[in-house]
Amino acid sequence: MARLLSNQATAFLLLICYVGSSMGSVHFSDLKETLIVTASPKSGQVLYAGEDKITVTWKLNSSLPASTDAAYEKVKVKLCYAPVSQKDRGWRKTEDNLKKDKTCQFKITNQPYAGGGSFEYTVDRSVPTATYFVRAYVVDASDTELAYGQTTDAKKTTNLFDVVGITGHHASLDIAAGCFSAFSVVALLFFFVMEKKKAKK
Amino acid sequence: MEEQKKPSSLQIESVAASDTKRFKVPVDSEHKATVFWIFSFAAPHMRAFHLSWFSFFCCFVSTFAAPPLLPVIRDNLGLTRNDIGNAGIASVSGAVFARLAMGTACDLVGPRLASASLILVTTPAVYCTSIINSASMFLLARFFTGFSLASFVSCQFWMSSMFSAPKVGSANGVAAGWGNLGGGATQLIMPLVYELIHIAIGSTKFTAWRIAFFIPGVMQTAAGIAVVALGQDLPDGNYQKLQKAGDKHKDSFSKVFHHAVTNYRAWILALTYGYCFGVELTIDNIIAEYFYDRFDVNLRSAGMIAASFGLANIFSRPGGGWFSDLLSERFGMRGRLWGLWAVQSFGGVLCIILGLMDNLAAAIAVMLLFSVFVQAACGLSFGIVPFVSRRSLGLISGMTGGGGNVGAVLTQLIFFTGSRYSTQKGIALMGVMILACTLPTMLIYFPQWGGMLLGPRPDATEEDYYTAEWSQKERDSSYHSASLKFAENSVSERGKGRDSSTTVPVDTTPSHV
Repeated sequence: MARLLSNQATAFLLLICYVGSSMGSVHFSDLKETLIVTASPKSGQVLYAGEDKITVTWKLNSSLPASTDAAYEKVKVKLCYAPVSQKDRGWRKTEDNLKKDKTCQFKITNQPYAGGGSFEYTVDRSVPTATYFVRAYVVDASDTELAYGQTTDAKKTTNLFDVVGITGHHASLDIAAGCFSAFSVVALLFFFVMEKKKAKK
Repeated sequence: MEEQKKPSSLQIESVAASDTKRFKVPVDSEHKATVFWIFSFAAPHMRAFHLSWFSFFCCFVSTFAAPPLLPVIRDNLGLTRNDIGNAGIASVSGAVFARLAMGTACDLVGPRLASASLILVTTPAVYCTSIINSASMFLLARFFTGFSLASFVSCQFWMSSMFSAPKVGSANGVAAGWGNLGGGATQLIMPLVYELIHIAIGSTKFTAWRIAFFIPGVMQTAAGIAVVALGQDLPDGNYQKLQKAGDKHKDSFSKVFHHAVTNYRAWILALTYGYCFGVELTIDNIIAEYFYDRFDVNLRSAGMIAASFGLANIFSRPGGGWFSDLLSERFGMRGRLWGLWAVQSFGGVLCIILGLMDNLAAAIAVMLLFSVFVQAACGLSFGIVPFVSRRSLGLISGMTGGGGNVGAVLTQLIFFTGSRYSTQKGIALMGVMILACTLPTMLIYFPQWGGMLLGPRPDATEEDYYTAEWSQKERDSSYHSASLKFAENSVSERGKGRDSSTTVPVDTTPSHV
């Protein structure tokens, strides 16, 4: 009985959630690629997090009519995972619904569109080791995505570059780990020896 | 023979006046405590309880320290879902055999040295988790850290040595429950420590998680030292001292082993425990990442939600044990069996529903309800385990405990490794597996008490059941006297309304076991 009721409740909740999530969210397949985006790394280049820089430039595709970008307010440039780095990693999955999409997790810059521009970005130290491309979304005044541009092709196979992330591992950690481990084992041996001495008495 | 409210494994006699003066708590003839005062630290009984549950708690904290930080660790080490799944399996597989070995170790050197050794020897694995750089090192770190979960056996063994039968169930249930709490507490502690280091001290993400691992490490070192420095094996002293006095009759390992593995009930309970405790371990491993990824909450929130699952242990596992005792008063062993099947099966249903929840609030609510039922099932399991055998109780407890870990290994292997099933589908399917693997409870049958579907045989007695574990020669030498006493006291498992008076001739010479 309780099972039947909870099934009904489940169905009802699912319905609400489905309806809720489909309203008001942009789908990537609805966006047009109107920007030309270029980034300084060459195809296959290796960059080091925290050290190397990426220069990104974006402008409207000149073959499109000039009025295309009338509503473009801001541009959001992001660092995005290439498919090879998404494999077997569901937390980086590409979803058509932009609210659920996890492809582009690192912000390069958010700035006014101004007909085009560029930005020099130092690869953040929190960027992990993976293969990437750059994508720029243009948004309107209500922060809704209107169009995009990216440095790679539609299948995301060309012009990809690698980033090597920091390890976060310092020599001091090695020493601390060694000392604490040794202390634990030595403490145990100490008490063992004490036991033997007590038993002998 | 006086009827006890709960079965006792040994006869309880009135206490000599001189004995009460020695101990701060009332004790029986073996100096085991007859009360369970949770908020006392009186040595040696209550002190042993607190050392025991807290050190077991620390082992749980260490073993499940990685899961809440996985969103950071997986990027630092470049882990795939496969790597994460394998490490999760490794974290619970070490303890499968370690739990079996711990029973023997406790017999040989006493629970104090056995557990302190295990706890201190596994701390290097915890500290070294902070200096790993690859998926394979991650797996090894989690594998060796997971060995510490074998301290469950020494914890239960120690409680059984310190508390007399009417209280041993509560002591065991609370100690195990509060120990398992560590699996929940760590989901709160680790993100908090990480955030403190990352934001307050300013370390980068990939350094902060490494430093964070020193917290569980230090906790475990401190707990291990406390156990060996402040603890005591038995009410009267430590093992080495007592063994020299020549008191303990040592049973043969091969006989104990034989009577454990040939008892089919032990295997069924190992399987069913795999689908309550094993499921609890699995959830400890996957739930934080699940909430982080599916519902887009931040690391700290995911940790808090995941923690609430493990924190329910504070009352749900002891509650399960208490419920088992309550059912037994009215319905005897049949009540305990029905209780286990019903509670664990309902837990399975809730697990299926959890996998289907698409809304954050609903998922949390279902998860909380699910946690209560699955943890109560663990408590209910150990309401039955003490009755399966008297001679091989230690090893059967180890088998059941080990079975719990095997369940965790299997479940993670089938549903949560690789990309075959999404995590939410895996959770729902795990619920189906819980239902299927709880059904064998129906096959457990005690001739003297019955089973779920069949009543007892009218001519079967408790004495027949427990003395069958001893050969005629052994019986002639009275090695089975402890089993006889246990049999007499276990007639309360017949429940109300049956003839509870025993026809077993009382052993006239009470021998010290």
